[in-house]
Amino acid sequence: MGDLQGLAERLSILSEQDRPPVDRGLEWPDAFDPEAWAFSPELSVLAGHPALDALDEAARKRLAFFEAVNFFSLNINGEKALIEGLARQCYRPETGDVTGYIHHFLEEESQHMRIFGAFCMKYAGKVYPDRKVVFPREHAIGEADFLFWTRVMLFEEIADAYNVRMMNDASLDPLVCGIHRMHHQDESRHLAFGRQMVRDLWQTHAPAWSDEVRAGVREYLVGYLVSIWKEYHNPAMFRDAGLSGAYDLSVSSFETDTTRERRRALSRNALNYLTRIGVFEEEPQL
Amino acid sequence: MNATEIKAAIRTWILDRHPNYDAGKLTDETPLIEERLLTSIQVMDLVLFLEDLTGQAVDVTRLQKGAFSTLEAIRQAFFLGASA
Repeated sequence: MGDLQGLAERLSILSEQDRPPVDRGLEWPDAFDPEAWAFSPELSVLAGHPALDALDEAARKRLAFFEAVNFFSLNINGEKALIEGLARQCYRPETGDVTGYIHHFLEEESQHMRIFGAFCMKYAGKVYPDRKVVFPREHAIGEADFLFWTRVMLFEEIADAYNVRMMNDASLDPLVCGIHRMHHQDESRHLAFGRQMVRDLWQTHAPAWSDEVRAGVREYLVGYLVSIWKEYHNPAMFRDAGLSGAYDLSVSSFETDTTRERRRALSRNALNYLTRIGVFEEEPQL
Repeated sequence: MNATEIKAAIRTWILDRHPNYDAGKLTDETPLIEERLLTSIQVMDLVLFLEDLTGQAVDVTRLQKGAFSTLEAIRQAFFLGASA
C-alpha cells in the first residue's frame, strides 16, 4: 500500500490548499428560470428517442430540469452510501495509513450532498429516492472492500463524465454549470485515490480468490454498472415533466442507439482501467 | 388489481428474466433470493415495475427486511391493501 499512502498524503495537501468556502461561491436565485436549460439536451435520455420529437422547447426544458434533479438525486443517494462506507474504512488496520485522506474525502462528499440537496429541495421540493438494495451475503477475504471501492469508482467516473461536459456547456444555467464544476474539482482527487485503491485491493486479494469468486465479481460489476445507467432513466422524472407512459419511456429510452453509445463512451475510461489492471479479461459490452 | 393478479404480474416479470427456470416450481413461497431468481442488481428494475403497477413511488430504505424474499412477501410489502 506504499503507493496509496504516498498518493493519500499528496491528495490531503491538495485538499487543504484547495479548501473552498462551504457555499462554494454559488449564487442561488429564488426560483429556477423555466426558460433556462438545467441539463444539456444532447445528454438527455430522450435524445434520439421519438418521444422527444413531440415535445416543444418549453417541454424539453421542463424535462431537462427534472433530469437535473434526477442527476443530483442519484448523486445524493450514491454519496449517502459512499459516506457510510468511507466512515467504516477509517481507523482500520488495512486502511490506517490513508485515514487522514478519507477524512477529507468524507468532508468533500458531505459538502457535495449539501449542494445537490439544496438544488433539489429549493427548486423541486424533493430528492428522488434511492432504489438500490444490497442483499447480505458471504464474501471472500477482501472481496467486500474491493467491491465497495470499485462501486465508488464506477459511480464517480460516470458522474464526473457528466460534470465535465456540463460545467463547460455555455447554454446551461450558470448555477448548474457551477455545481458541476464544483463537483468535478473534488472528484478528480477522489478518482485518483479510488483508482489506486481498486488496483491495490485487486492485486492484494484477487490472486487468492477462486475462479468462481473472480467470475462472480466480474458478473456483479457489470450488473452494477448497468444499474447505475438505468438510474439515469428514472420514470419519476418523466412523470414530473408531464410525459405519459413514464415506465415504458424508461425502458425504451434505455434501448436506443443514442443512449447505448453514450453508455459505452462515458463508461470507457473506467472499463479500460479495470481491464488494464486485470479485473476484466476483456472489456465488457454494455 | 387483486392479490392473485399482482402475484401473477410479478411472477411473469421474474420468469421473463429466467426463461430456463421451471415455471411450475415458482410458487408464492419460493425463496427468490436463495434460488437466484432475484439479485440485488435486479431489484431496482423490479421496484420500477412495482411503482408502475401501484402508481406510487417507493423508498426502499423504508421497506422491512425480507420484503423481496417471496412473491407473497413482495405483495405484502407493496400492495398491502390488495385482497385475494
